[in-house]
Amino acid sequence: FVSYQVEILDWKTKEQLCFLDKVEPNATIREIRLMFHKLYPRWYPARQSIKLDPKGKSLRDEEILQHLPVGTTATLYFKDLGPQIGWTTVFLIEYTGPLFIYFLFYFRMPFVYGLDERFTASPHPVVNLACICHSFHYIKRLIETIFVHRFSHGTMPLRNIVKNCFYYWGFAAWLAYYINHPLYTPPSYGKKQINFAVIMFLLCEAGNFSINVALSDLRRDGSKTRKIPYPTKNPFTWLFFFVSCPNYTYEVGTWISFTIMTQCVPVGLFTLLCFIQMTIWAKDKHYTYLREFKDYPSLRMPIVPFLL
Amino acid sequence: MAASGSGGSRADNGYGGQQQPRRRKGPGALATAYLVIYNVVMTAGWLVIAVGLVRAYLAKGSYHSLYYSIEKPLKFFQTGALLEILHCAFGIVPSSVVLTAFQVMSRVFLTWAVTHSVKEVQTEDSVLLFVVSWTITEIIRYSFYTFSLLNHLPYLIKWARYTLFIILYPMGVTGELLTIYAALPFVRQSGLYSISLPNKYNFSFDYYTFLILVMISYIPLFPQLYFHMLHQRRKVLSHPDEHKKSE
Repeated sequence: FVSYQVEILDWKTKEQLCFLDKVEPNATIREIRLMFHKLYPRWYPARQSIKLDPKGKSLRDEEILQHLPVGTTATLYFKDLGPQIGWTTVFLIEYTGPLFIYFLFYFRMPFVYGLDERFTASPHPVVNLACICHSFHYIKRLIETIFVHRFSHGTMPLRNIVKNCFYYWGFAAWLAYYINHPLYTPPSYGKKQINFAVIMFLLCEAGNFSINVALSDLRRDGSKTRKIPYPTKNPFTWLFFFVSCPNYTYEVGTWISFTIMTQCVPVGLFTLLCFIQMTIWAKDKHYTYLREFKDYPSLRMPIVPFLL
Repeated sequence: MAASGSGGSRADNGYGGQQQPRRRKGPGALATAYLVIYNVVMTAGWLVIAVGLVRAYLAKGSYHSLYYSIEKPLKFFQTGALLEILHCAFGIVPSSVVLTAFQVMSRVFLTWAVTHSVKEVQTEDSVLLFVVSWTITEIIRYSFYTFSLLNHLPYLIKWARYTLFIILYPMGVTGELLTIYAALPFVRQSGLYSISLPNKYNFSFDYYTFLILVMISYIPLFPQLYFHMLHQRRKVLSHPDEHKKSE
């Protein structure tokens, strides 16, 4: 039984921040983070990036000291990731904003369209429908955040939330402004267009929910490792035959349907940006799957079946 | 911020002067040849504009309304700079696509969406202010790239690139802002590029407000770019032996 010694250096200055004596060989990085936190209370574990190489990737909590390529005196590097915020908190803030902001415009608060239009209602049924759909979408997301999602990383940097909120809240305000405007023009093809959009909307929401549940079930045992998701008995999950990230596919579908329902350019623009962002995320995920699993299904594309 | 050269040298952002040699895959021989031709052509183009300005000034005897004498080459060569975005996208130039796109687009915006579109401002002196600034800056910048690509960069060009901006940049920004400001009443009056409700796309856009926002955006952006160039200047000019690769 050999006990390890661990020194932790600042990644930039290489100054020794701490020296841990008599560390068990089977100690995990999580335990080392806790020990480091005791010495530096302001650097709680979620803020600590512990790595083997000053410019390398952060080590995961589950890694075990003796399995790392280090001698019995291990040198690790520390980088402060800055204040962190939990993913659940992030999503709650990001999604509650648009929900309430939309209402400000739907109910025509006085400061939005002027005093003459305050608290009036739109004569167009599609405007009410749009409010229901938009709210449904964000309430669903909030429910999923609380009850369904299981996150692999606990946290993200605090400054991201300001940026993200500006984006989501800002767009919500922009599109809500036009949909609920007194001069709003309903879709050119009337009821046909609206009904088609509603059906597409519901199908995509159901699809997205199914995928989120399926992904969550992969981690039912509490593990944080990645597994290949497969189609289940639920027909909505059959999209897994063709794409790696059907949740993103369905999400884009939801926004396309909302664009058709409202026939509103800002909604279309938001949809386009969502599509671009999700394609980037989907490609990332897809290539990670390909790298990790040799037997990954070859028919699958990242986000659009056969195309993208 | 369109006034100065392409925001300094992102090529070495993280690595300062100590970039490990050949860690970045540089342009191949064919790409280098193309880039040399591109930069030579652009240098020549902006020289044409410079000469055009001088000749027009001598012929007219005044510096007013010189825009018309160089309108076409200005549009052609400034718009041609859009290619630089592709150079970054294809990796033959080690600059950030986003940064380059932003800078080129802001120049193209001023050339087409303001000066060309609002005819009444074409006789403003502020136009001359930014055209002169752009012309001098671009001649130096493109010859800098040309010489860098050929590995024979005269110190004078390097010095000029990293020094003249101190005057040219604020000069250009002043010209641009004054021009946009001059365009405002005409945009308001004609409703240029604006769309109002109601319409079947449920969209509205007020170009007048947009131009004001553009002007406001100079406030945070200009100092950042200016100080970045000053910082680059200190770094580059204090290592006269260091050879800065093209961007």
